[in-house]
Amino acid sequence: MKIDRRHLLLGGAASAAVLPFAKPARAQAKEVVIGVIYPLSGASAQIGVDAQKAFQTAAELINNKYDFDLPLARDEGLPGLGGAKVRLVFADHQADPQKGRAEAERLITQEKVSAIVGTYQSAVAVTVSQICERYQIPFLSADNSSPSLHRRGLKFYFRAAPHDEMFSQAMFDFFDALKKKGKKIETLALFHEDTIFGTDSSNAQLKLAQERGYKVVADIKYRANSPSLTAEVQQLKAADADVLMPSSYTTDAILLIRTMGELGYKAKNIVAQDAGFSEKALYDAVGDKIPGVISRGSFSLDLAAKRPMVGKINDMYKANSGKDFNDYSSRQFMGLIVMADAINRAKSTDGEKIREALVATDMPGEKTIMPWKQVKFDAEGQNTFADPVLLQYVGGKFVTIFPEQAAVAEAIWPMP
Amino acid sequence: MTTATIIQSLASGLLMGLLYGLVAVGLALIFGLMDVTNFAHGEFLMLAMYMTFFLFAFFAIDPLLAAPLVGAAMFVFGAVAYLLVVRFAMRAKANIGMVQIFTTFGLAILMRGLAQYFFTPDYRSINVSWLGGKTISLGGVFLPVPQLVGALVSLAAFGALYFFIKKTDFGRALEATREDAGAVALVGIDKNKVFALGWGLGGALVGLAGAVMAMFFYIYPDVGASFALIAYVTVALGGFGSVFGAFAGGIIVGLVEASTALILPPSLKSVGIYAVYLLVVFIRPRGLFGSI
Repeated sequence: MKIDRRHLLLGGAASAAVLPFAKPARAQAKEVVIGVIYPLSGASAQIGVDAQKAFQTAAELINNKYDFDLPLARDEGLPGLGGAKVRLVFADHQADPQKGRAEAERLITQEKVSAIVGTYQSAVAVTVSQICERYQIPFLSADNSSPSLHRRGLKFYFRAAPHDEMFSQAMFDFFDALKKKGKKIETLALFHEDTIFGTDSSNAQLKLAQERGYKVVADIKYRANSPSLTAEVQQLKAADADVLMPSSYTTDAILLIRTMGELGYKAKNIVAQDAGFSEKALYDAVGDKIPGVISRGSFSLDLAAKRPMVGKINDMYKANSGKDFNDYSSRQFMGLIVMADAINRAKSTDGEKIREALVATDMPGEKTIMPWKQVKFDAEGQNTFADPVLLQYVGGKFVTIFPEQAAVAEAIWPMP
Repeated sequence: MTTATIIQSLASGLLMGLLYGLVAVGLALIFGLMDVTNFAHGEFLMLAMYMTFFLFAFFAIDPLLAAPLVGAAMFVFGAVAYLLVVRFAMRAKANIGMVQIFTTFGLAILMRGLAQYFFTPDYRSINVSWLGGKTISLGGVFLPVPQLVGALVSLAAFGALYFFIKKTDFGRALEATREDAGAVALVGIDKNKVFALGWGLGGALVGLAGAVMAMFFYIYPDVGASFALIAYVTVALGGFGSVFGAFAGGIIVGLVEASTALILPPSLKSVGIYAVYLLVVFIRPRGLFGSI
């Protein structure tokens, strides 16, 4: 069709006539846009796809009425913003810090998000949080655990969950407690991947081992997603430590356990820094080879006995994803709740106002689905009241074994 | 470092190396035949692993029995990929090399995306198979049975391929087309048929590798990436287009990787591979057994 001046004028008049009606309609459906950055494709796509479901479950709880004692569940939308609904915009960083940087920038400038939550890989959280800082948009690490993340002097960085020093501390507290009971724990073997997650984790563990008098007989760093871990496992086997402490993502964790079996090495005990060791895929693949493996975590379904809402929310997530909450999906769920709660109290979508509201956060632990004391951020944006737990894989499921106040069973030591 | 450690490293390296060779040989074959690098080679491997997994999950067919089926299915897939996709890329008038790179690269991304969509990004594994998890111990040196069988399959495949290329009419047609596609057309050999056969063979070989690897490796849409990189190095090291080169290249890569880890920290074990690769590129750019 040839567009002449008459058509153009007509079209202009038509849209001018429609516009006044369109505007109030949009104002009514006010929404708060929150960016969610995860690896939706690439080697850890599975994590991202599960995370998507966890965030959607949280948004459903916020946007609709539910009778749970969880912030925002009992209201429709955010009451502080006249019932505005939370809308999530997902972005894919493919586990690549550079793509994370670009996607964060796009979310902020194109999608106009008010806040960003992410990212699984700590290495990506580094770049995403830098971009957020530059644009003064609050960033919340839902599930990143590298301790260095909150120590960079960023004003817009927050983390409600524990970091690897807190987690590692729990492990060493656990070792100390076992030693008091007369178990023999002298030597440790560290096995960690080569990005910021593995390096930070092993640094924390090395330091704690030194302080508390454990001997580290092997400290093995490996390249993530290696086609073979034979050489690495040989060194672990030669060291044969009392406790093997892996910090590995799912792929490498599966290969590690398989290769250990192939080379005839059975670890005396395994205490894992989560990641791959809280994924269903690992237990589907090699669960039978590692009964009694212990992993740190920040979540346990045991809690449902004490706090029934945990079980019900887990059912909602399970209906969405076909899986139970694990250490990651539970933290992702809470991440959005904490962020939305702050936006609600800020009564604004302005970055600085949300930041102030986050700083003022004081959420009692009973109003979360985690075993935490409360959610309250220190000056660096870290929640210091997030108590980690240790879980043991017994009879096909995880039971909480440490700390004592959260434990539902005695630890089986050594590993059967 | 004890003797047992060194022997264990070399044995593991040799087994892995034979598998690397089997993964790489399809790539070498296709390159030698028509100067096309198949950037979707890793995704072919991924598809073969998924086929093995689904045959196991739905029909309880052990990976060992599935191997010939997967090989045959991948033969068809390879030939179809040539006839439906690559054939048209070969018709480009300008910048033909670039067009081929982008075509196979695009095929790789498409396959990865479809795999993630249809198979979900979950990590799959075959945890109960006849050979999976079994291991033989010879005086403190452990040889995992799946890798051992993989190595035997690799040796058999190379033997069969050698016989096929040297002794059969089809093999001779393959060699002839490689040397001079134009002249071959004059004596009435259909170039397209031979190329489709080459892609089919390449697919079948990587299919065998995928079936064997499904016994001991996890499976997910991106699994091909780390093996494809090694396959490219293997082919470049052994010599582009040389089937025997891929065999030797695979063994060298496996052994160098294993022995590097004896000297350097394991996170640097690929350094050895790339150092040898660079050395070969400097001294003998066509690769150890390359004829181009």
